[in-house]
Amino acid sequence: MENFIHVLLDPLKDFWAGFIVFVPKFIAMFIIFAGGVIIAWALKLLLLRTLLAANFDAWADKAGLTAIIRKGDIWGKPSDISGKILYWFVVIIFLMIGLNALQIQTVDKVVSQFFLYLPRIFSALLIFVIGYVIAGFISRAVLIAAVNSGYHYAKIVAEAVRLLLIVFILAMVLEQLSVAPSIVVAAFSIMFGGVVIALAIAFGVGGIDAARRIIEKGSEEKKEAEKDVEHL
Amino acid sequence: MADFYQTGIIITLHKLGRPSLERIEHEILEFSKQRPIALVLPALYTEFQADAIKGIVEELKKVKYVQEIVLTLGRATDEQFKEVKKFMSQIPYEVKVIHNEGKRIKEIYATLERNGLWPGEDGKGRSCWTAYGFVIANGKSDVIALHDCDIVTYNREMLARLCYPVVNPHIDVTFCKGFYSRVSDRMHGRVTRLLVTPLVRSLEKIVGFHPFLVFLDSFRYPLAGEFCMITDLARVLRIPWDWGLEVGVLSEVFRNYSARRVSQVDIADNYEHKHQPLSAEDAQKGLMRMCVDISKTIFRVLAAEGVVFSDALFKSLEVAYLRFAEDTMMKYEADAAINGLVFDRHEETKAVEAFANAIKKAAQIFIESPMGTPLIPNWNRVGSAIPGIFDMLKKAVEEDNK
Repeated sequence: MENFIHVLLDPLKDFWAGFIVFVPKFIAMFIIFAGGVIIAWALKLLLLRTLLAANFDAWADKAGLTAIIRKGDIWGKPSDISGKILYWFVVIIFLMIGLNALQIQTVDKVVSQFFLYLPRIFSALLIFVIGYVIAGFISRAVLIAAVNSGYHYAKIVAEAVRLLLIVFILAMVLEQLSVAPSIVVAAFSIMFGGVVIALAIAFGVGGIDAARRIIEKGSEEKKEAEKDVEHL
Repeated sequence: MADFYQTGIIITLHKLGRPSLERIEHEILEFSKQRPIALVLPALYTEFQADAIKGIVEELKKVKYVQEIVLTLGRATDEQFKEVKKFMSQIPYEVKVIHNEGKRIKEIYATLERNGLWPGEDGKGRSCWTAYGFVIANGKSDVIALHDCDIVTYNREMLARLCYPVVNPHIDVTFCKGFYSRVSDRMHGRVTRLLVTPLVRSLEKIVGFHPFLVFLDSFRYPLAGEFCMITDLARVLRIPWDWGLEVGVLSEVFRNYSARRVSQVDIADNYEHKHQPLSAEDAQKGLMRMCVDISKTIFRVLAAEGVVFSDALFKSLEVAYLRFAEDTMMKYEADAAINGLVFDRHEETKAVEAFANAIKKAAQIFIESPMGTPLIPNWNRVGSAIPGIFDMLKKAVEEDNK
């Protein structure tokens, strides 16, 4: 009978012992998370004030960043969206730190992987933003140059240049994020190489006559020059 | 049947005999292959509760030459917008509804404002301007036609006659305004009859010859809301967002194009739509507000053209206007008599007195603030200030219409 009571109570005792150990960790996690939410909110407020003072929204409109956001059917102010991103980013970081306080082995692994991945997310984001702005500038420069040269398909050429640059940037972003890097590099090489070969063939086939004329003109000028030699 | 007299310095296209609608529509269909047409319809949700819109949609279903319809909807909730979208979907070609009260379009307006480009207050001017922006962004149409959605006597001949002068490359006008008579058992159109025409002619008498006044006086119905224009004109239009819209559009046409490329066309034997109350005591409501806005716009356009306004000029103008309006009233009385129409001289006199007050009020406002509220900027400027605005607008309308 005594044995039976032991069998009955031991799991409960073990659970209680575990619970006693777990509760402080859980409270620590909760405090860290709650503190994180407050810090995130304060940082969001600070960022919003700074962006407002720097007239960030108008800059984003002019630089084309707002247009990118709208393409994703997001209709807030760029500063508000930046604030929200920062808020959730800080909240997630503090959630990870909080989970770390639980000292569960599996969770610890996920948390450390998350922190190792953070710099990659940052650099990918930076590449995308800067790349997109540069692509916009180059596309506009091509458009202006083509229009000034009287080229009929100026808009199509400018859009094609923009599309190619964006594909290039997206490949860089995915490579940076280590999302199937070998497939991304291979797909990009095939696609970009294909486009270049297609252009080379198109130019080569279309320009056979022009090339022949240029070569013939060159050799004729050479012969003429040889004939003009005056012997002393 | 109308006469064939050419009024003023613009081209006047009359309705002579019984021109075949089928022939005109067939020709427009051919021309529209080179110059696709967009039809812009400014409307409030309340207009979808009336009968006029049902008749308009029934007629539009039969039209084959319109590339796209852009209905720009004001004062509607999200639910009401969906209802309108469903109602318009019975038209068998592309129809896009712009939800001016929706979160996406509101964000577009907010984007403009934070870049120093004020799109004006809610109203027909801003709604139409947004629709022009969408047509430009969509890039499908070279010609824009516009008419209201409260026309009780609508038939598709109106649209055909409105579009014809602009799409026909042999006529090749850049802007064409509709004209018509507004008669039931009496003559309507008080603001045109008793305010605009007498005011313009009084100004001609006081200021002397001025090309803009001659231009404005050439239109038989300068306040008609129905017109057709080339899309390029929509790019350079700077329009007022208030009731000065029609006169403001005419002033921009005058500024940008030769009068030889401007026309007016007889689009209907008779035209009936909702009537505004006079509200003579309140300059912020009804016809009185409309008259103040119109008079202000005329003064500002003339000032921009170099006309010097002074207190003395305005005092003379008030007197001259009253004389002209009274003389005009006598002419209309005679016209009503020969046609057996009711002519309430007392009501007409009350209207003239109210309009004289409106001119006085407009003059005061003009003296206090000659620049007034800024016009809605043109789309060329907007596109230059915010390079992605057309993509944003297109995206907003497309998402709303999904």
